[in-house]
Amino acid sequence: MSTEAPAHVSRTRAGEPVTLLESISEALWEEMERDERVFLMGEDIGAYGGAFKVTRGFLDHFGPERVIDTPISEGGFTGAAAGAAHMGLRPVVEMQFMDFISPAYDVLTNYVATSLYRGAGPMPLVVRGPVGGGNRGGPFHSQNVEMAFFHTPGLKIVYPSNPHDAKGLLKAAIRDDNPVIFEEHKGLYRAPHCRQVLPREDYVVPLGSARTALEGDDLTVVTYGLMVHRSLEAAAELAKDGIRIEVIDLRTLLPLDEDMIAASVQRTGKLLIVHEDTRTGGIAGEIAILMNERAFEWLDGPILRVTAIDSPVPFSGVLEDYFLPSVEDIGTAARYLVNY
Amino acid sequence: MVREPASPPRPSSIAGLDRGVVEDLTFHGFQARFLEDRVRALARDGEIDPGCASFTIDVRSTVIARAMYRAADGSGDLCYPGGHSPGPSLAFGATPLEFLRHLASKGTSAGGAREGGLSWADTRRGLFGWAGPCGLMTQVLTGAALAFRGRKQNRAALVFEGCRALDAGGWHEGMNLAGALRAPLIVVLDARDLDGAEQRVESIGAVAKGYGFAFAELGQDPFDALVRVVTAARRRAVDGSGPTLLELGPRSEAGPWALHESFLESASDQWGLAGAELAAIERAARAGVDHAVARLGKEPSPDPRDALAPVRTDHEPSPPWTRREPPSPGRMESQTGSAHVH
Repeated sequence: MSTEAPAHVSRTRAGEPVTLLESISEALWEEMERDERVFLMGEDIGAYGGAFKVTRGFLDHFGPERVIDTPISEGGFTGAAAGAAHMGLRPVVEMQFMDFISPAYDVLTNYVATSLYRGAGPMPLVVRGPVGGGNRGGPFHSQNVEMAFFHTPGLKIVYPSNPHDAKGLLKAAIRDDNPVIFEEHKGLYRAPHCRQVLPREDYVVPLGSARTALEGDDLTVVTYGLMVHRSLEAAAELAKDGIRIEVIDLRTLLPLDEDMIAASVQRTGKLLIVHEDTRTGGIAGEIAILMNERAFEWLDGPILRVTAIDSPVPFSGVLEDYFLPSVEDIGTAARYLVNY
Repeated sequence: MVREPASPPRPSSIAGLDRGVVEDLTFHGFQARFLEDRVRALARDGEIDPGCASFTIDVRSTVIARAMYRAADGSGDLCYPGGHSPGPSLAFGATPLEFLRHLASKGTSAGGAREGGLSWADTRRGLFGWAGPCGLMTQVLTGAALAFRGRKQNRAALVFEGCRALDAGGWHEGMNLAGALRAPLIVVLDARDLDGAEQRVESIGAVAKGYGFAFAELGQDPFDALVRVVTAARRRAVDGSGPTLLELGPRSEAGPWALHESFLESASDQWGLAGAELAAIERAARAGVDHAVARLGKEPSPDPRDALAPVRTDHEPSPPWTRREPPSPGRMESQTGSAHVH
């Protein structure tokens, strides 16, 4: 086996900036180096290095017992990962596209999420993979899957927006004793504007903690993933007119950092929720009722949301651009609320 | 082996089994039999959910489990006993009281009465229970078996599935994965109801072959033959030769305990186990079950105030606000917990 670490997992050690995809690779590599219980399962992750090359070079270094190429059988290998987790290992399952997590819905919701509850013990299992639209992938390669699992007690759901958080959150997820769904937006994987120089020392970003991506007093925008960047773009436009919005990047969707949202809303009095996922049953509904319970007295306007349209993700660029929330959509809603 | 459902059990040749195994098999047979009787009685009396009385103990599954390597320190094999069958659980060290606590939804059960099946897991004893989607545990035990191999441990996983697993996509995914990765796994497919099932599988052996499994068919074979088959499958698993599928054929028309009766005869005739010794083993098995039933009535019910807590390791579910202090208009808890007046 090769002892050399490939370049794409060594950039931080060399002091170079990394993309979000490289930060994921670095997190996996470093956790596998740190803890021999960590291993990977998924389709084409070994010899091929993964559909997006997240695990390129891993097989040579860690060997086939820790980088396991599986049949195209998401339910089967997620179930197997659960069995390995029961035996004390810490599996990280890759869904080639998170759209394909649906065959594993049964095992994740009925078995994995209920493990501790049923008396079967902790379940240190991470299921990670690419999500999101904007790549003309159509309905089977572009979905956001968080709300399919948000309603299931026992799970955690993570959705980073930048390399620093992605690396720290993934490390925290791997070290967590609970099952974690980890979503990685394809549109951020290699985005040049997202590149960051990361700390050389080991770090984690605690699960369940949001961050303030931009401070402001006029309006709270709660968002995550790629929409953090669109919200920041909108904020830059609004700032030209003297409107200062606060952007909260949730980072972890389950458990939700209610305290940070409530504190911000209590200060700004206005709340806009932005997500790329479709509208009905989206996380905006849950956040809205939470703030209704916790911050109603502070609200000076309706809680609004900017989301994708209730539709499968379209393939055509024209249709997909119309389907997805845009910077303009966020700006329009923000202005409406600020002027309410 | 040839399946002979209608033929009476043959006298067992127990050559090759040591005395400890013979005594164990004798004990487990008695224990499973008494436990099944008491569970049915408890169900009739309303002490446990009548649905729980639907299980039947095939004594052969107890023997199969006994043929694995069992340990109490986490170094032994792993067994998923199947939906409601206590036999293999008992062989892997579960006690009748543990079993009954589950069925009676006692707060002392390992799962805290949050799930009614045999859902507890005790990886130190190698016990792994779950009553859920058909075929799922073949996937899970495959992963456990791969963990054994990854750690270079000479351990194997044993999973019992009902014949309806043949209908379930999850079971086929598990079989495919286990075969492709040569997992140290033994799958026992209890095919006792196969003839009445919906599926049209001409040959379970052909299914096994297709997935790269070795295969053996278990009929009304005497205990020692069962032990030998399982021992060979286990050896094959841990030496890296791959998984095995065992088809457990229909039960004897002579009744579910005919094989045990036959084994007791052999134990006496061929192993020289005296009648007094057999009687002592029978008494011990009965006493254990009686004790468990007597204790069951004294076991507490679960307390909903804390029983629902362990959903995640770091989270306690919050009850609806209507069961707590209601929100006070104009006065809310802030991020830091201090009160503010708007």
